[in-house]
Amino acid sequence: MKIVVPWLRELVEVPVGTPELADTLGLRGFEVAEVDRARDVIDFEITANRPDCQSVIGIAREVSAAFDTPLRPIDAGPVARAAADPATAATVTIEDPVGCPRYVGQVVRVAIGPSPGWLADRLLAAGVRPINNVVDVTNYVLLEIGQPMHAFDLERLAGRAVRVRRARPGETLTTLDGQARTLAPDMLVIADAERPQAIAGVMGGAASEVGDRTRLVLLESACFQAASVRRTSRQLALKTEASIRFERGVDPGAPLVGIERACTLLVRIGAGEPIGQALDRHPAPPAPRAVRLRRARLSGLLGFEIEAADVERILPRLGFTLAREADGWTVGVPTFRGDVTREVDLIEEVGRHVGYDRVPETFPVLDRVQRGLDPRAGWDRLARRVLAGAGAFETMSFAFIERAAAEPFVADEPDTLVAIANPLSEKFAVLRPSLLPGLVDAVGYNRRRERRDARLFETGRCFSTRIAERRRVAFAWTGAAADEHWSGTARAVDFFDARGLVETLCQAFGAAIDCVPAERPYLVAGRTAEVRLASSGTTIGVLGQLSPAVAAARDLPAGDEVYVAELDLEPLGRAAAALADLRVQPLPRHPSVVRDLSLELDERLPAAAVRGTIRQAAPETLASVREFDRYQGTGVPEGRVSLSFRLTFRDPERTLTDAEVQQAMDRIVAAVTAAHGATRR
Amino acid sequence: MTDPASLERVRAEFLDELARAASDADLRALRDRYLGRKSGVVTSVMKAVAAAPAGDRPALGRLANELKRDIDARIAERREALAALGSAIPRVDVTLPGRQPLTGRCHPLTQMRERIEEIFLRMGYEVVEGPELEDDYHNFEALNMPADHPARDMQDTLYLAAPVVSESHTATVLRTHTSGMQIRYMQAHQPPVRIVSPGRVYRRDNFDLTHTPMFSQVEGLVVGEGVTLGDLKGTLASFARDFFGPDTAVRFRPSFFPYTEPSAELDVSCFQCGGRGCGVCKRTGWLEVLGSGMVHPAVFEAVGYDPERYTGFAFGMGIERVALLKYGVDDIRQFYEGDLRFLEQFPA
Repeated sequence: MKIVVPWLRELVEVPVGTPELADTLGLRGFEVAEVDRARDVIDFEITANRPDCQSVIGIAREVSAAFDTPLRPIDAGPVARAAADPATAATVTIEDPVGCPRYVGQVVRVAIGPSPGWLADRLLAAGVRPINNVVDVTNYVLLEIGQPMHAFDLERLAGRAVRVRRARPGETLTTLDGQARTLAPDMLVIADAERPQAIAGVMGGAASEVGDRTRLVLLESACFQAASVRRTSRQLALKTEASIRFERGVDPGAPLVGIERACTLLVRIGAGEPIGQALDRHPAPPAPRAVRLRRARLSGLLGFEIEAADVERILPRLGFTLAREADGWTVGVPTFRGDVTREVDLIEEVGRHVGYDRVPETFPVLDRVQRGLDPRAGWDRLARRVLAGAGAFETMSFAFIERAAAEPFVADEPDTLVAIANPLSEKFAVLRPSLLPGLVDAVGYNRRRERRDARLFETGRCFSTRIAERRRVAFAWTGAAADEHWSGTARAVDFFDARGLVETLCQAFGAAIDCVPAERPYLVAGRTAEVRLASSGTTIGVLGQLSPAVAAARDLPAGDEVYVAELDLEPLGRAAAALADLRVQPLPRHPSVVRDLSLELDERLPAAAVRGTIRQAAPETLASVREFDRYQGTGVPEGRVSLSFRLTFRDPERTLTDAEVQQAMDRIVAAVTAAHGATRR
Repeated sequence: MTDPASLERVRAEFLDELARAASDADLRALRDRYLGRKSGVVTSVMKAVAAAPAGDRPALGRLANELKRDIDARIAERREALAALGSAIPRVDVTLPGRQPLTGRCHPLTQMRERIEEIFLRMGYEVVEGPELEDDYHNFEALNMPADHPARDMQDTLYLAAPVVSESHTATVLRTHTSGMQIRYMQAHQPPVRIVSPGRVYRRDNFDLTHTPMFSQVEGLVVGEGVTLGDLKGTLASFARDFFGPDTAVRFRPSFFPYTEPSAELDVSCFQCGGRGCGVCKRTGWLEVLGSGMVHPAVFEAVGYDPERYTGFAFGMGIERVALLKYGVDDIRQFYEGDLRFLEQFPA
């Protein structure tokens, strides 16, 4: 709201200059967007609860309270009228008193012409384009007292009638902006005897627009229901100075004042003469409202003692009336303060003008220990710590993505994608079903900026119609397995780097995992694994090489190998909870015996199967078994592979003898030979 | 001319030179100088002993022999030490770069969020998280924003094309703030309440340098008997001094939010210029960082708290906004691009 300061000074005594005025009101709840020193205009941001301050008079009341100076009265008649004349008489009927609680009409004989310079300049300073003297006066009143007004060319209104009613099915109206609009039946219109002539509270119609040849106008100064104007304005995507004010609520006491002020100005500038009395339709005037204000509550909520004198100075300056009571006041609420309905609203009014700088800095009493961090936030933290510590960079991407980017990740059930009804664009049409599309795009983003090596991770929610939302962690790794170094240790990342990172992550949550061959449409066949909890066999995620087709669709070069993994955090978090019950194992008191076992096997045989057979065949003294070498080439027949295991035997109670370890080894070799056709190398 | 004192001087000189010997060659030269057959220092001493008076000769001879053995042994010892140190183990160029273990980073917004969480955890708050897919009741209605309320325009909403059902609720919107979690918490707990709820929120804002349709917030809520606006001011001022620095000045300005009354914005003195006025604070000396207020009685009524008995305050801040200001980032989209050149600039 642009406030022209000289205009404001006409309405209230302002004891300071414009900059200090802006600063003071800035600390009273009216944020200053801009001070235009050249035009002497302050642009205030008016919050949604203060439609009364979308006007000079509203700001004047705030100035009056802020500086304790009196308001200066506005000349608003009543103006002398020419006698009513049946030849010019109009009728006003409210057919929908809910949508329109009050409608005031006034017939005025006018001489259309340009406005005088002072009037036009003032409108221009406030950011309103002058049109002609009559329209300019209605805009002047709008800016001055916040009452939206409209002028109809009375001779264009069929039957010189005004009917405030809902639109009928199929009715249309060409509005002042030249747009032909089809009206919906729940829209409130101002109609003449035959058809709509204006959309109530939003915009007038072109057919009854005031023009150079207009001789008689009907001035409209009305009050329309906020919700109704808001709905209509939204449906038509049409916001105007009038609709902005009506949808926040205008003063039901102002319409008549608006008419009198407009007539005063029209007479003063020689633009017109009112004929007959104002036609004020106000079927159910609201009862005066009063709100109790208790002194104890006032000081108790603000946190410091407020003097009665402050209350009795501030509230009347803002237009409230006070009646003293034993414990405070009964406060009469003026019609322009529809936002004040409760005691707290009054407490805010007093607090604002006493000044928040006087509020002391205290602390709420803490009388119990709170629970601290949400465990789920703790899972995110742990995952981030581990992955950042292992060399990955955390990224954040938008939760909404384009459908084409999402679809490969839900290929088997595309209906589970959660779509947004009103997305910003097709690029943000659905909620991500996986963190991987975002990571893949981040890899691509870096790739296009000469970064071939990227280790990125993200934690966040994924969405589907089936599970609503789920917390996940995911990473993508491409390029080098380690940073380039002059000693030549560089190597490209492979499946086992990615798997190692998954293992490290799960270990941090205390979860042992198995990787089981699997298939996913977005991952390379034969390089895809489901990640399962070793304890329960529950699948908690997936790991593998990104399919070149998916990579290419996101503009990644075909030759780039991108390894990705994505895990659900909830099962990991539950595993981590068990760590709270950790008991340490006693340290071994007897030496262990280590034996290496090299086997020649069918190359398609999963190592896990051999490991399983070894475990089954071994006595309890087998403490660990781990692959340490895998070889194919000279000396190993085609289709076979040499796989070496390191077996560690240990007994907590005694030192094992060579003989018993040898016996165990013999049993193991026999078992793998029988089960897998292995030969010992 | 030969006496025990002069023998000790020879020993001292030898030790001095030995300390400076750094190579095998040095040791050979040293040996020649002291033990050489023709002109070695000790050889000369031996000759002088032979010429000494007969009474002194046995004692001097013993000392001289001892000196000779000592020098011999020390040179040998030194040679071994040198061999162990240098000549056998190849040198490295210590000026070459080291082999660093892989190191990554948490996102700057994560770092900001955790700093904020830690401050409130220290002040005795519980950190709670809630759903991102929310229903109209928790996102708007219980927060004193009934349908057709103009304040709903303050937060342009992204709606789901179809309701999404979960165990707890039927969601229709992407939450526009984390306040819904505050409602959920109050529905499940009786006062006193002291929580912060961080998380991602969504608004139908077009992209520009300071807006993205998804961003992160931390909101807080305190409810109890006798909680005042002063408590709000004290808490947030302490937070601001902790987060932005001990010399930070704070300023409260009245504002409007449908779910608080009275409402206030918190400004902090610009940490770039210290309040003198600069480009960061648009010459005002102040930066707006937090919205806050006393919980509106209608919110308490919605969750079944008695607004006569309980009062409380709530606050909220955008993490991106604080991070933009704090790090001097000029385009908010950088937080969401995953550009490693950007991410690598933040501390580990």
